[in-house]
Amino acid sequence: MKLQEILKARGITDEQLKEVQEQDIPAAAESFQRIMDIYYLLKVTADMESAYWYNRVWWENDGDLLEVRRAKAVAASLAHSTPTILPYEKLVMNKTKHLRGAFPFPWVCASFFNSLAESLMEEAEAPAENEADSGSVVGAGGGNVTESYGEVISIAKKFGMRKEDIPVLVKVSKYWDGISVEDISTKYAKTLPGFEQFQNIMDSVLVMFDSFAIPQGREVMNYYMPLQYGFDGILELCDEKIAETMGETGGDGVLGMSRGYYYAAMKEIVKGLSQWCENYARKAEDLASREPDEAYKKNYLEIAQVMHNIAHKRPSTFREALQMTLCLHLGVVNEDPQSGQSIGRLGQVLQPFYEKDIADGTTTEEEVVELLELYRIKITCIECFASAGVSGGVLSGNTFNNLSLGGQNYDGLSAVTPLEYLIIEAGMRAQTPQPTLSILYDEKLPEDFLMKAAACTKLGMGYPAWMNNQVGMNFMLRQYDPEGMDLYDARAWCLGGCLESAPGCFLPLEYNGKVTMIPGGASPTCGTGIHFTGLPKVLELVLTNGVDKRTGKQVFPPHNKKLKIFDELLDQWKEYLDISNRIVNKVNNIQMDVWRKYNMPAVNSLLKPDCFKKGQHIGNCGARYNACINFESCGTITFINSLASLKKNVYDTKKYTLEEMTDAMLHNFGFRTAYDTGVFSPDYRESTDDAQKYAEIFADCINAPKYGNADPYADQLLRDYHMYLLHYLPTLESFFGKPEYLCQISVSTHGPQGFITLATADGRLAGTTYSDGSVSAAPGTDKNGVYALFESATVYDHSQNQNAQMNLKLHPSSVQGVQGTRKLLELVRTYMRKGGFHVQFNVVSSDILKEAQKTPDQYRDLMVRVAGFTQYWCEIGKPIQDEVIYRTEYEEV
Amino acid sequence: MSFCLSHGRHHHGARTAPQVDWNKCKDCHDFPCTSICPNRAPKQCVREYTSDELLQILRRDFSSWGSNGGVTFSGGDPITQHDFLIEVLKGCHKLGIHTAIETSAHFPREKFLDVMQYIDFAFIDVKNMDSEAHKAGTSVGNELILDNIRALKQSGWKGRLVLRQPTICGYNDSEENAKKLISFMKENDLFEINLLKFHRLGQTKWEQLGKTYDYATGGEMTDEAMTALQSLYLDAGIACYIGHHTSF
Repeated sequence: MKLQEILKARGITDEQLKEVQEQDIPAAAESFQRIMDIYYLLKVTADMESAYWYNRVWWENDGDLLEVRRAKAVAASLAHSTPTILPYEKLVMNKTKHLRGAFPFPWVCASFFNSLAESLMEEAEAPAENEADSGSVVGAGGGNVTESYGEVISIAKKFGMRKEDIPVLVKVSKYWDGISVEDISTKYAKTLPGFEQFQNIMDSVLVMFDSFAIPQGREVMNYYMPLQYGFDGILELCDEKIAETMGETGGDGVLGMSRGYYYAAMKEIVKGLSQWCENYARKAEDLASREPDEAYKKNYLEIAQVMHNIAHKRPSTFREALQMTLCLHLGVVNEDPQSGQSIGRLGQVLQPFYEKDIADGTTTEEEVVELLELYRIKITCIECFASAGVSGGVLSGNTFNNLSLGGQNYDGLSAVTPLEYLIIEAGMRAQTPQPTLSILYDEKLPEDFLMKAAACTKLGMGYPAWMNNQVGMNFMLRQYDPEGMDLYDARAWCLGGCLESAPGCFLPLEYNGKVTMIPGGASPTCGTGIHFTGLPKVLELVLTNGVDKRTGKQVFPPHNKKLKIFDELLDQWKEYLDISNRIVNKVNNIQMDVWRKYNMPAVNSLLKPDCFKKGQHIGNCGARYNACINFESCGTITFINSLASLKKNVYDTKKYTLEEMTDAMLHNFGFRTAYDTGVFSPDYRESTDDAQKYAEIFADCINAPKYGNADPYADQLLRDYHMYLLHYLPTLESFFGKPEYLCQISVSTHGPQGFITLATADGRLAGTTYSDGSVSAAPGTDKNGVYALFESATVYDHSQNQNAQMNLKLHPSSVQGVQGTRKLLELVRTYMRKGGFHVQFNVVSSDILKEAQKTPDQYRDLMVRVAGFTQYWCEIGKPIQDEVIYRTEYEEV
Repeated sequence: MSFCLSHGRHHHGARTAPQVDWNKCKDCHDFPCTSICPNRAPKQCVREYTSDELLQILRRDFSSWGSNGGVTFSGGDPITQHDFLIEVLKGCHKLGIHTAIETSAHFPREKFLDVMQYIDFAFIDVKNMDSEAHKAGTSVGNELILDNIRALKQSGWKGRLVLRQPTICGYNDSEENAKKLISFMKENDLFEINLLKFHRLGQTKWEQLGKTYDYATGGEMTDEAMTALQSLYLDAGIACYIGHHTSF
């Protein structure tokens, strides 16, 4: 073309004019679409089959050693789960007999069901809720069952249980009255001198939930053992180990003898897993025998063969290997209520299988993409049965099964595999909330891979999110150094849960005539401890002398200080935080200790290195790394901005006294409260007669320095806060006897914890959400552009903590075309270069979200990024919807 | 100032727009009305910086732009703040930051060349080759602009210059105008022009300032007419870009 010739003659190379066309995204496979058509119609279903069998076998084995008894009960719940196979499925297995099913775990937490028993049996009014539950709002659309209808009873405002299951729920729960993990730990927690303090804290929802609510998860699966040995192989290994260790201590007088019992327990759980697979094989054979259609019949027979093979042998194809990982994943999520049981770096784990099949010509890329699409449905169907405070407040209905890509391999080179391109491709074609994808961004990763990932981010599902591999590795070396973390293991880290950096290790998989070092998780949960402390609420209690004005209760002892200087205010905040942490930590330690004694992981204790090597389950520190318990914050930036406003208006300019500021906050700056109006959107303001009185103080609060503008006034406070926690938190010790550290993900607790917090000094009104994430700006307050925000976010070293969370909202027009993809990648790269740990994007216009709020039925498949996870718009609660709409929208990058 | 404080405050339920007396506002410096409204309904769009303050921000963001990044000085017309601009431009060159400008070039020769020596890339508008028509559309003739461009090329300036023409139907979309512009470009060894299809993105700004927008109707160009103009330039060996389909 002429234009190029003219430019070429002048020595100008033109890139943009080449008009690299963005590839159209092919449609998902027919099998995917057919099953999703069913999925969209399904309600979230709870049933009692697994719970019944667990309960029955547990009591049949009364008196047996606890780890064996536990493994037998878990094994029974798996082995008796009725297999369900839908036409078009190629990957099979569900948590329960329902595609989108879950079941309660009354042995962990029975009071919820026992308190419901009568009302459920009578179908009477809704029972009283606990405080955290009452602050949580579950989305009313999609698959949630928020109200009973017909033969279906709504439980926890989310799950539907058929009426005939209710008597079973009531009866099974009765067994555990007084002896569930919750009840026993509460019994001993009550002996603590500070137990009343603990209760005051929990009642105020200053701290959000108990560790037993989800004692596993926020960790990374390790699929190595069954991929390497197969179930039959592991049984043989167990026998060898029993011969070697039973009756001997190995020099450890406390735990040495339990090694033999561990292997006995592992035999039970492996038999259960194997039987579960075998049941699916038989079901598929049965369906095949009665299927007239040849294509369906063939499909059923293939399933039968895959399931029969993996019931005994190590996988010998990519499909078998993928099916095996799914089986293990579902096995683990079925042994405890949990969220964030993460898949890890699946595209690296399964690459050897993929490589062989492609080389042998036994499969094609398209077939693999189809399986990966179907895999997305399976993971999306993982539901967690917990109370509304957890499923609505924390999870927003998503269970955070995160799949990580990229990072470095064992040798310190780019770990990206060909299979990982297909995982992204499947995520682009088959758009589902789970598994969410995370890129472990490293300068060594190939550009075309990063471009593909950015092209996927652009589609607006919120995945992949971007994590900084070097920062993650540094955190591993920092936090797990005392347990022997070295550079090799550090390279194996990835995301457990939505944003919990979890330690891992590489293990040698022998397959296809060679050894591949495959990564996998190597720790228990990296996400229990003191969970979700509302930092702004602590500050509110400092201003109100320890009284929660919302409920009128005295939460902390009155400090009776005048707080004449800023440091005194800050010191009091630290003191209240410490009072809370000390007692909440003790209670949570008891909860987790009781859990690990009675309810130790069975499936997961088989998989996690080095349990099998040591002969110890996870509860006995069998895993390689155990310094994984932490303190989780919520509302960081609302807190920092509030401090900045107090510092400015009270201590620097001295324009107002602390009493005047407090008074303005208690009066919600003269606006009607969200509790009154029922509107929780942060930008909704309705004046009262007092409005004029507080107009000026409100303006000064709004105009006080805000984080996110590269303004050192506010940013320095964030830095100081981080330096303080870095040294303070390790003074808290977990039940594993290890120092704790800072985890900062709000998940969706910034909704319910904002709900219980009055107006804050930054101008946020009572009851509205906190700022999301940990380094996202409070909506509308970042006025100097995205680079200024990045500058503010990186005023401290992100590798000090398990994570830092940045949510950005981009208007779709800002990243159009291939040039737009490049811009998005440049934006990510900019932040990573500055040491930012994590950034994730909503690429959607606020107008569409507002429209979707009005007519949710027409947006059944619309997904948004909340805070570390993606969820269907219609299945998240309204306060969080409002917050996402209100986030600052960047129109240019 | 009480006027502003009492009328600037918006909240839901009272959506009547405040009446603005621009005669009072033009002498205001601290704009308290913009800080009192929590929804930022009245918003201050202009902010004063010292050259040091601005350079501080540019230096900070430099690391974020990628290899093709730089600063574009735009306006209004940045050369109206000649001294300030020179200070910032010098600072940019010291830091190794690429500089671009969008200017009318309608300034005294010396001032114009003074600025341009620190510019790596320039957009200059040539709105009409007919001076009378130019005057009718912009209130000034085109002589100074064309002379400045000539002088720039003769000064040995090494930057890249792309002419720009907002193409408005019935005003400057004639073949005759294009031919004149082509020969002007040939004479001065210019080879790039960017034709911008007429749009009304500026309309809201005029309205926000309480002024009437004169181009509310008419002037639209069709894609075909734009392409026809483009081929005139291309045939003459001039790289002609339409809209954002450019090589920069």
